[in-house]
Amino acid sequence: MIKELILPNLGEGIEGADVSEVTVKVGDKVLSDDTVLVLESEKASMEIPAENTGVVKEILVSTGDVVKTGQLLLKIESGDREKGNKEKPQKTKVISPPTESIKPEPNETAELEPQLLETTNSAFASPGVRRLSRELGINLQTIKGTGDKGRITKDDLNAYIKMQMFMSRGGMPKPAPQIDFSKWGEVESQKLTKIQKITGERLQSAWQTIPHVTQFDEADITSLSQYRKDLNKKNKKTKLSFLPFLIKTAATVLNEMPKFNSSLDYQEETLIIKNYYNMGIAVDTPNGLVVPVIRDVDKKTVYELSAELIDISQRARDKKLKPNEMSGGTFTISSLGGLGGKFFTPIINPPEVAILGVSKSSWVYVHDQKTNKQTLRYVMPFSLSYDHRVIDGAAGAAFTTKFATALSKTPTFIDSK
Amino acid sequence: MSKKKQVEIAVIGAGPGGYAAAFRAADLGKKVVLIDRDPSLGGVCLNRGCIPSKALLHISKVMEEAESLSKMGVTYNEPKIDLKAIREHKNKIVNQLNGGIAKMAKARNVETIEGVAAFQSNSELMVETKEGSIIITFKKCIIASGSTSSTIPGVLSDHPSILTSKTALDLVDIPKRLLVIGGGVIGLELGQVYASLGSSVSVVEFLPSLVPGADQDLIRPLQRKLKKQFESIVLSSKVLKIEAKKDNMLQVTTEDSAGESKEIYDKVLIAVGRKPNVELLKLNNTDITLDESGFINVDVYQRTSVKNIFAIGDIVGNPMLAHKATHEGKVAAEVASGVPSAMDARAIPSVIYTDPEVAWVGLTEGEAKKNEVEYEKGEFPWAASGRAIAVGANQGKTKILFDAETKKVLGVGIVGPSAGDIISEGALAIEMGADAVDVGLTVHPHPTLGETMGMAAEAFEGTITDLYVPKKQ
Repeated sequence: MIKELILPNLGEGIEGADVSEVTVKVGDKVLSDDTVLVLESEKASMEIPAENTGVVKEILVSTGDVVKTGQLLLKIESGDREKGNKEKPQKTKVISPPTESIKPEPNETAELEPQLLETTNSAFASPGVRRLSRELGINLQTIKGTGDKGRITKDDLNAYIKMQMFMSRGGMPKPAPQIDFSKWGEVESQKLTKIQKITGERLQSAWQTIPHVTQFDEADITSLSQYRKDLNKKNKKTKLSFLPFLIKTAATVLNEMPKFNSSLDYQEETLIIKNYYNMGIAVDTPNGLVVPVIRDVDKKTVYELSAELIDISQRARDKKLKPNEMSGGTFTISSLGGLGGKFFTPIINPPEVAILGVSKSSWVYVHDQKTNKQTLRYVMPFSLSYDHRVIDGAAGAAFTTKFATALSKTPTFIDSK
Repeated sequence: MSKKKQVEIAVIGAGPGGYAAAFRAADLGKKVVLIDRDPSLGGVCLNRGCIPSKALLHISKVMEEAESLSKMGVTYNEPKIDLKAIREHKNKIVNQLNGGIAKMAKARNVETIEGVAAFQSNSELMVETKEGSIIITFKKCIIASGSTSSTIPGVLSDHPSILTSKTALDLVDIPKRLLVIGGGVIGLELGQVYASLGSSVSVVEFLPSLVPGADQDLIRPLQRKLKKQFESIVLSSKVLKIEAKKDNMLQVTTEDSAGESKEIYDKVLIAVGRKPNVELLKLNNTDITLDESGFINVDVYQRTSVKNIFAIGDIVGNPMLAHKATHEGKVAAEVASGVPSAMDARAIPSVIYTDPEVAWVGLTEGEAKKNEVEYEKGEFPWAASGRAIAVGANQGKTKILFDAETKKVLGVGIVGPSAGDIISEGALAIEMGADAVDVGLTVHPHPTLGETMGMAAEAFEGTITDLYVPKKQ
């Protein structure tokens, strides 16, 4: 009996992947769970295992192909049918598991997602409108009814579709006319990497949907700098950078100003404040920008944070990050401190509502009013971009002030978890 | 050598679910074969269930009404019963409907095959027909093979005097004493038929109430009526043994809190539920999974664990009702044909076609209490309805359960003549998300029994003028 291997759902938001390697050829014997394909999607690569033991009869994809969820990948003929095998969920061994649930949805009814229906159970809509919503693939939960008492009507579905069309029209920049640059000189074409393409789409959407305001400020980190130097002298094994201190300080300020640690719900009616502090750290890699997330930073020491930072930055460069290590952030820090420049306007990483941009510190003379003297201080410029729907200007300024003040105090990081 | 055939959609079972699935798929442009082991299409519902039982219940109802006319000044002679003529009348109705389905199948180019279908794999069926076997390779298959009457484990069931719902409807004779085992819908309906034709009927039920799933305030008026028509109704009683005696008589031993007792009956009808027809399908040749009660597991698209095989109706579980099967059949046919359909019904009505009828849809009070659902209730006693009094249905009642917060209709329960017809308004109200005001402000024709729906909503709202309801606090 020939079993078809179909690309399972790889997780939310991941619709397709590139085939980076086909590890079997026609005629090969494979065991159930043996890797047959390696895929590369967005920011993770994953191995697709055989679902049954048998002989590879046909391979329908080759290296470089883009495959989509539900696509037939290859056919494996099993010698005898194993009864014990039935109803065994299709397992995809993902080096980087995208989400917990990987469901096989073979054949043409694969696109049907039962979850969509379950959510219609409480929707205030007639059976006919519920049917139409299935036909149009609209989740009724996202629609606001305009009928009597908030009933969802067919007109509401039509209006929703019109709005979507309008938004996608407005959301996409007009394609620029094709220009042949080579007529003015020599050119070289570089294909965008997958990460660059995705980052580009996300940044554009964030920039266009979130009303950004960016607040600039400076922090006196002279004593922090000394403190760090002392620690690094004492403990030669682990050299601490500034970043763990900035993360800890940000977590403290977020705790005091919970709005900055929140998300707007999709209908923009509710603010969801998170009582956990997961810090996204923007990491530049040869393939593009990625933002791994360090969880529960408030509960970790600067040394623990430092170790984790080194680990995720390395794995980000090696493309070894798992998708779940890049989700769940509540706030992001983008540090250009090691590079240079003074102040920039970071773009918020949705669904978060604020992002901190750190620039290169420098020694400057600061006038002290009390002593009427100029002293040399080590000053770090930083920027805070925030979602103006959630945070008003006063709060933005309060945040940067608190952050700067906290950094200028004599640090107590080592003892505090 | 078996014949071979390839089809897009094979439907197993031509009951109300199966033929609906086959016809819907054909109407969506698919090449369909409809397989049934019975030469007459229509399944249990048409041949040995809903339809013949309703033909007979109609007779008992009219007889009952004719008798009740004596109170209104009209008397008839004692009725004469010609069993053969009744049988023929019933068979005529069934045959007419059988022929109707066959004609519709032909008009749609749905090929019908008489035979027993068994799976050979996830894509092949072997159908044993009188002319030999046919191997059918299908792209999609819809299993609609229905259910059969259950028996009581360890108790004699194979005896000419032991009836099932199927043989009871054959109406071979009118037993002098009939014991109905099982006080559910089927037992009560058939018990009433036999009682009005002259049998002395007893009912024994294992549980402490008749029709346990229904609200007992709706069952009570029926129970009062049955108490008069039946010799006895014994609840919380277990059948231990049935023994064959001479002249095809049966001795039944039952046990209740008072101890064991033995009675002799001419016939015994076993109506203790139905079991899914899975054996003949040879599902072990497929990857289809069953649940712990032996029903086929399906998702909201009626897909089994094998995604190109669908299952609908009794074989996927309760409630085992024709209208549920029909609805699921259409869903399966549509999904199999690529239409984004789904089993999305919010309520499935249940009806007991006795006299009086009992019908309910959506939430029952029993369920509400069990699941701690916050609800409020609007009730209208039929004793306050002119029409009900005029037709002698003062015992009836209509009640509507509303969501305590939104006042949307959650459930409706009705007892009284035509309850099964009136309940549709309740089903529509639930599907449309109507609330008490919507139902109350809908103008209902007067005087009708259906008007009691509006009255119950008005009673809840406090706007009713046909009753005096003390003001709500």
